[in-house]
Amino acid sequence: MGKDFHSMEMRFVYGETLNELIEQNPNVMCLEADLSKASGTNPTVSSRHPANFLNIGVAEANMIGIGAGLASEGKVPFCASFTCFATRRVYDQVTISVAYANMNVKIVGTAPGITAGPNGGTHMCFQDLAIMRAMPNMHVYSPCDALELRSVMRHMAASRQPTYMQLIRSKVPKVFDAEYAFNPETAVVLREGRNVTLVSTGYMTQFAVAVVDELARAGVSVELLHYPSVKPFDAATLVTSAQKTRGVVTVENQNIIGGLGGAVCEVLSEQCPTRVIRLGVPNQFGEVASEQYLFDKHGFGPKQIADACRRIAAERKTK
Amino acid sequence: MDKTTTQPAFDRAEFDRMADEWRYIMTDMICRAGSGHLGGAFSLVEIVMTLYYRIMRTDPANPRWDERDRLVLSKGHAAPVLYLALAYQGFFPMAWLKTLNADGTRLPSHADARYVPGIDMTTGSLGQGLSCACGAAHAARLDGKKHNVFCIIGDGESNEGQNWEAAMFAGHHKLDNLVAITDYNKLQIDDFTDKLLTLEPLCDKWRAFGWEVFEMDGHDWDVIYKTINAAIAVRGKPAMIIAHTIKAKGCCLVENKPESHNIKVPDQATYDKFLNSLTAKATLPY
Repeated sequence: MGKDFHSMEMRFVYGETLNELIEQNPNVMCLEADLSKASGTNPTVSSRHPANFLNIGVAEANMIGIGAGLASEGKVPFCASFTCFATRRVYDQVTISVAYANMNVKIVGTAPGITAGPNGGTHMCFQDLAIMRAMPNMHVYSPCDALELRSVMRHMAASRQPTYMQLIRSKVPKVFDAEYAFNPETAVVLREGRNVTLVSTGYMTQFAVAVVDELARAGVSVELLHYPSVKPFDAATLVTSAQKTRGVVTVENQNIIGGLGGAVCEVLSEQCPTRVIRLGVPNQFGEVASEQYLFDKHGFGPKQIADACRRIAAERKTK
Repeated sequence: MDKTTTQPAFDRAEFDRMADEWRYIMTDMICRAGSGHLGGAFSLVEIVMTLYYRIMRTDPANPRWDERDRLVLSKGHAAPVLYLALAYQGFFPMAWLKTLNADGTRLPSHADARYVPGIDMTTGSLGQGLSCACGAAHAARLDGKKHNVFCIIGDGESNEGQNWEAAMFAGHHKLDNLVAITDYNKLQIDDFTDKLLTLEPLCDKWRAFGWEVFEMDGHDWDVIYKTINAAIAVRGKPAMIIAHTIKAKGCCLVENKPESHNIKVPDQATYDKFLNSLTAKATLPY
């Protein structure tokens, strides 16, 4: 019987999975910028594989550059920090030393979006999916549960591509079973439905699953597409679903500009013009607040997801 | 020194001649392109030539040779001088040189490891190369490799805070396989460095970060050779060489002037003026 990763905080799943990857490939390295306990790698990785663990200090730009230098020598560095520091703070370093130089560096943004919680507005990064997606050569992943995280990390360690991954730090409900295998080229149809398509990624997928199951009981048939890879973006699965339902709702733990909702609208506007409602943070900064408060303020919690799905379903019926 | 490439023994007259030739060819390359970073490439001629001809272990037939010494030209805009060194060493055909910045070229304005055999790190956004060199040096140490990692940064580039993050890291981790060189030509794009943002006391700064610091005349063959070898020999800490150089050295039109940073060559008259302002003429190899 294997370990029950679903019962663990995701950050510790990250640390334990990194240990496994290091044991399979000693070139895999764990880089931190003084947030190793928050990332779940200290002491999990630091004590078990001290030679593969490198704490750079509070110097994220240097961490990215050192990661690029390590990658140039065949290492596979996983560089973690809070999402705000792993992306927006070091955007040019990631752009030039990693993506432009095409270095095999893995960047991990922890505590994405509103999950930065008590750290508040300065630490809530709502644009990382958008800005990382806009970067050539960069792959952008956002796993939704522990087993998907493990599968995504195995893929990252094996691929030779610059990659950005969001890492939810807390424990999250199980979505996937052990046989699940991440494929960056395909979205996952978590629920099949007829009336409306709901598209989610990362932290929001757990809520989307619950909403869709509840709506099914109420007679609203929602097709739920989970996108663990926001880039590359699987257009075919979305278009097929939109052709069937003729209405789409997107939900993400991000600004609605440029992230998952943006990717969906780009595809649909060109390949299958479709009514879309984007849920997420509507072009605002974050603040210290509870999840419920932020869901309600910005309108992307379970209640608002259900309302949007019902609204689209109703619109489709009247046509 | 154990080298894979067969190098001529040091011959001062020949090196002087070759330095003049490199400056002439670089001027031609930049003039053909219509503009380019002449000043900061010229200040590095003697240093880069010494590195490639007398210090670094490289193999032009196998640019990714695992045991080679690495060079990160963090001031990536000085790429033309690196292109000269690599072309002369046989990493790629001389004919490539005349394609600097041309459409579809393999020799872009800033050093690019993706297209140019022999370049170890893609650079161009200032301040990032020393971090990359730290990563490469740390990787070599982890793997028990014996090669050195060289990194050339600019004086203006030293304004970038990331250099000092890297300085702290290299000092803390005692990266003694890392030798950095500051091309201290005292000029940055807008002005003289001491007028724009004081670097001094520059040697003390690096010492304070845990580095062994050397100063040298960056145009004197013997001094360069001796100083770099002394820096390589340092154990237990990284080494920084502050190289006193002259920006655009040998091009009297713009030598030691801020406008040498990125010269504009809009017409044939300007082209001729630049070529005629050089210390010596040379034959173009393409």
